[in-house]
Amino acid sequence: MPSNDLVLETRDLGYAYAPDRFAIRHLSVGLHRGEVLGLLGRNGAGKTTTVRLLTTLLPPTEGTAIVLGEDLRHAGRTLRSRLGVVLQSESLDFVSVERNLTLYAFLWGVPREVAKSRAEEMIALFELEAARRRKPWALSGGERRRFQVARELMHDMEILFLDEPTVGLDAIARRRILRYLRERARQGLSIVFTTHILHEADLLCDRIAVLHLGRLLALDTAEGLKQRYGGAREVVATFGGALPAALRATLVADLAPRGATLLAPEDGRPEPPNRIAIRADHAEEIVPWLSRWAEAHALPIERVAVEEATLESAFLGMIGDEEEAEAETSPPREPIPGDGVRGLP
Amino acid sequence: MRWPPVLRLVIRNFASNLDPTTVIIRFGQPAVTIIVLGTMFSTIISSDVTGGGSYTAFLVPGMVAFQMITGGVVSGNLFWLDRRWSMVEQIFSGPFLRSEYLGGLVLTSLLFSLVGVGIMMLVGLPFTGLPALSPLGVLAVLLTVALGSIFFAGFLIALGTRLRSANAYFSIQSFLQLFVIFLSTVYYPITAKTPKVLAAVFYANPLTYAANTIRDAFAGTLGSADLGALGVLAVLAAAAFGVAAIAFRTMDLGPIQ
Repeated sequence: MPSNDLVLETRDLGYAYAPDRFAIRHLSVGLHRGEVLGLLGRNGAGKTTTVRLLTTLLPPTEGTAIVLGEDLRHAGRTLRSRLGVVLQSESLDFVSVERNLTLYAFLWGVPREVAKSRAEEMIALFELEAARRRKPWALSGGERRRFQVARELMHDMEILFLDEPTVGLDAIARRRILRYLRERARQGLSIVFTTHILHEADLLCDRIAVLHLGRLLALDTAEGLKQRYGGAREVVATFGGALPAALRATLVADLAPRGATLLAPEDGRPEPPNRIAIRADHAEEIVPWLSRWAEAHALPIERVAVEEATLESAFLGMIGDEEEAEAETSPPREPIPGDGVRGLP
Repeated sequence: MRWPPVLRLVIRNFASNLDPTTVIIRFGQPAVTIIVLGTMFSTIISSDVTGGGSYTAFLVPGMVAFQMITGGVVSGNLFWLDRRWSMVEQIFSGPFLRSEYLGGLVLTSLLFSLVGVGIMMLVGLPFTGLPALSPLGVLAVLLTVALGSIFFAGFLIALGTRLRSANAYFSIQSFLQLFVIFLSTVYYPITAKTPKVLAAVFYANPLTYAANTIRDAFAGTLGSADLGALGVLAVLAAAAFGVAAIAFRTMDLGPIQ
């Protein structure tokens, strides 16, 4: 994407909640118009802090950020009026779902008629018809989350920040929301999206920033991350019967010279007795070899396939390597407080 | 029509958080006090004690003054609930300044108090007749309640920015409300027989100044002491608002449990 399309750009952005205690540090990312940027990371990685920083809820303690042409350090109402934010914590007013939607639109200065029709659209889109007259506390967890996202979409914006918007949603509701967000991005809305559900990030995000312990580990497309960090692909085979222990040992020995490893339960792959998983750098070459090997040992093969690297395997690879390195070089890190952070005046 | 941000917040405050039950109880309680307590105590309290009129006539201005606490409590609770349900953070992520949110709360408190003043005067009318209110008296009543309302709203909002427990906030709020009312001249006057210590505590209470000034306004006897009382209230209101504004600038925005 052309760089003049940037709606958000950070350089070495950081936030310290105490002297030398950084929740996020050296964050340099860009967001283009109509792009969906995913923020991935474990709990405490700095995703929510990043969202709070970029929406002016927290003042950066180092680095710079330009959001919609405004320097974040001096930005205020004008910038915020061009942003939408669905925070991680549930927020609600003590009125019905429908009234909540129109009241929130009123707060944003949306004309009454527009607000009414948009509320109808959101109620339909987020399947809140049955909940329309209910108060937020009478909603299920999933309904409350849908309502929260729907409410934010009541006003116009140029960048939408979504902090784990699909927590507690069923698969259908999740897919519906993701599809809608994809469509809005296609129309030009830029989106920053944090999630723990890697499959979602894979589906929705144009690029993904992986955060770990407050630092940016990687920034790439989902495919790029899979290629770089997904590791060797896996060959999964199902035999007609259980693989005897002696044959298993033979297979392990025969695979070794081919740069392949038979995965065991301790590798996180507990397979049924008639299934095996092999990690190999050249998975395609292993498939015909395995067929010949099974035939030579009179073991019928029912199915054999190469499994592609997933975003999850890439994420686990990245975070796992990083945690190992961290454990070797650093003392244990203090937890980042969720609260106790100070906002801008 | 696009309303100014502060008014949008005030309208939202009324629409979202003030359910009919709350409104009825907030205004009903002092109204019932005028009717029941006023009627019953009028039969046993001599008019000498209350300055010549019935006890109800004495109580009505006190209940009018009490509306400044009602307004302050409404704002304080609104703010607390907004914090508890993360609406403070959500509102600040939108096109609002902290000063506007604070202004919205204070204005909500003010409007609530002034509506309360009207209701208390109406409820008291059958018992006291029309008070001898001059235009200056009306101004004094409104100004007194407005300043008192800002004081209590500011105080409770400042408290709300620092407390992280709902139990603690509501316990302190109820405790203060009770003692501020009983340690003032809302229900009884300070006389020569009043113990000195209690009289001193009464005079340290802004509600005493408010009740005395409103009583004088009702009786048409406003004097320099009332001007002084208004000055004290103005200083206290400015101080409480200032403390609330500072507390607001530095408070945690994150949700609380």
